Amino acid sequence: MQLRELFVPSAINLDLAAETKDEALKELVSCLGLDGKSEGILYKMLKRRENLGSTGIGRGIAIPHCRSLVVTRLRVAFGRKLSGLDFKAIDEKPVRYVFLIVAPPLEVSNQYLPVLGKIAQFGKEADVPESLAELSSPEQFIELLEAKDL
Amino acid sequence: MDQQLELLLEIQDLRMQRRELTDGSLTDLEAEVFDVKIEDAIQSLDEKVEELEQRLGRGIRARYRRIADKAPRVVAPVINGICYGCFVAVSTARASEADRNLRVESCEYCGCFLYHVR
Repeated sequence: MQLRELFVPSAINLDLAAETKDEALKELVSCLGLDGKSEGILYKMLKRRENLGSTGIGRGIAIPHCRSLVVTRLRVAFGRKLSGLDFKAIDEKPVRYVFLIVAPPLEVSNQYLPVLGKIAQFGKEADVPESLAELSSPEQFIELLEAKDL
Repeated sequence: MDQQLELLLEIQDLRMQRRELTDGSLTDLEAEVFDVKIEDAIQSLDEKVEELEQRLGRGIRARYRRIADKAPRVVAPVINGICYGCFVAVSTARASEADRNLRVESCEYCGCFLYHVR
């Protein structure tokens, strides 16, 4: 399965309202359409993962991720905050692009690790931050992935 | 949702995170891409799991221990009436009673605590 097939427009937010890392995580979790209790559990798990080390991989990109029983299939979301968020990233620079990945513990298709790897690889490509900055619609985000054959 | 069930879910997810850090599936990615110090992360997860275990009620903690000592999974999702711990159908009466996860239930076949996923 291609990466772009996992992203739905409702889970692509090019103008996050969040002003902090925690708010950004909550805002992205809320894009997944879970019930309130499940959102709370998922947010807590993402925070616990962040406590092990920031998922900010540098160059303005963060990839918060975890497995949780509250989802039944792999879910992804993308959020952009052009003014930047303090994510305690590896390079200590503000994060502008956040890819959220959540997977259930049991996954028949076992996509979690390959998807995490692909997004990390995508984030390392030289032109990606600039391309993400120029997006003006969720559809363009999908087209960018398509252009990268993802 | 029952608060004890919520604790069990958290413990389960943390145990899963720990297992993926130790069995090699996520180790390289976490270390190389995210610069996670694996040993520190495992210690931190162990401490958190231990802390959460202490918050379980005595009876549930005893049941949890019995499962946790022999199986990697302590909570199994129930999806469409099937326990994903043993892939056996959960009885309809139990499923509807526990549908909103308002109390802690165990699978009568595999013993896992059940979490009904909607």
